Amino acid sequence: MSEIDEAADPAALIEAYYDAGWTDGLPVVPPSDRSIAAALAATGLEGHEELGAITGRNAVVTAEKAAINAVMAGCRPEYMPVVVAAVKSLCAPAFAYHGPASSTGGSAIALVVNGPIARRLGINSGNNAFGQGHRPNATIGRAVRLIMMNVMNTRPGLLDRATLGNPGKYSFCFAEHEEDHPWEPLHVARGLRREDSAVTLIASNSLYQVYNHLAATPEPLLLCFADALGNVGTPNLLGFNETLIVFAGEHAEVLQKAGWSRLDVQRFLMEHTRRPVADYKRGARLPGAVTPEDETTWRYRFERPEDILIAFAGGRAGSWSACLPGWGTKWTRSVTTRIDPPSGGDTT
Amino acid sequence: MKLFDPTSKPVERAIKLAPRPASPRGLRLGLVENTKFNASPILEKLAERLAQRHQMTVTVRNRKRSASHEVDEAGIKALRAQADLVISGVGD
Repeated sequence: MSEIDEAADPAALIEAYYDAGWTDGLPVVPPSDRSIAAALAATGLEGHEELGAITGRNAVVTAEKAAINAVMAGCRPEYMPVVVAAVKSLCAPAFAYHGPASSTGGSAIALVVNGPIARRLGINSGNNAFGQGHRPNATIGRAVRLIMMNVMNTRPGLLDRATLGNPGKYSFCFAEHEEDHPWEPLHVARGLRREDSAVTLIASNSLYQVYNHLAATPEPLLLCFADALGNVGTPNLLGFNETLIVFAGEHAEVLQKAGWSRLDVQRFLMEHTRRPVADYKRGARLPGAVTPEDETTWRYRFERPEDILIAFAGGRAGSWSACLPGWGTKWTRSVTTRIDPPSGGDTT
Repeated sequence: MKLFDPTSKPVERAIKLAPRPASPRGLRLGLVENTKFNASPILEKLAERLAQRHQMTVTVRNRKRSASHEVDEAGIKALRAQADLVISGVGD
């Protein structure tokens, strides 16, 4: 362990972590030999073992550093397999860490947890799934951000250049509601088995909620989502990116009752989020004067149906769902990693 | 009680630097474009000026997969073999 100093007063210890520049702005839980050992034991790894690396920064995440940061975030030891899998996703080449971590776009790292571990840990998938009040949601996401800051050197103003950032940068973790799911859960859609546990990471710009209280059929409901996703101000214009849509109870029920599949929804949204080039030129999002051809030349937001990730979470009541627009274009891809307790799993 | 350091320092690795050219005259030029909006015009303008002033010639043009990605191995190999000077930068 890396011993720095001694202090007898718990409050002074918390201040010492602030003074060292090791917090995200909130007080941390001061780790102890015992709490770090418990967290490490839950990973099934030795402290020096590597979970992953960010090659462009020569940054290596060891199990010991992950454990220290997770304890600081407030994680219980049994949360560690999720944290380990999330770190593996961060370090996957497809995630291309540097862009989403450092960009002025200031993306949050959204974690979607699936499978038995989500239920075992009590990760909230229901009312207020994105909000406060649930320890695993709050602390697992926070642990990932602390690891990014402290181990991957992604500090605000230095290698985190976010213009505004977004509140999800403190912590953003929720589980999918797999019971009564209109389709197969997200991790199954991405190639894993239903009985697997998994975490999916997506670099997300600020989420926005989509409201529709009247739509009783899929088309008008999904037109609202298409309008939200295809806005002229979207940062994701120069290529194709991913987006995560989280349907809550009432909207999911509309789609389910109509017999729409996940692919039906994805195809509808692909088609209805396209806009003429002229729209983007009028908004100076594309250079040059508007030509007559621009009025009928379509620009698509998504390249493939599967680039629209769909999850099911949130309360049963309320006509709300959410879009989590992915950061960047093809610069980063969401990554799903199987959680293989106790030591994490394979990246897919 | 004690503090536990949650940070890691970058892993050090030896980097072999290419020998510095004695003169800019006649160098073979590599351009690494990061795919952002104005990257290519800026690089091409620089190359034009360098050709005028120092008789440099563009021998390699590399377009990265994205601004987030590093130059891939094949690209590095080509730059190493075919360029004396490489210009890279963000054009936004």
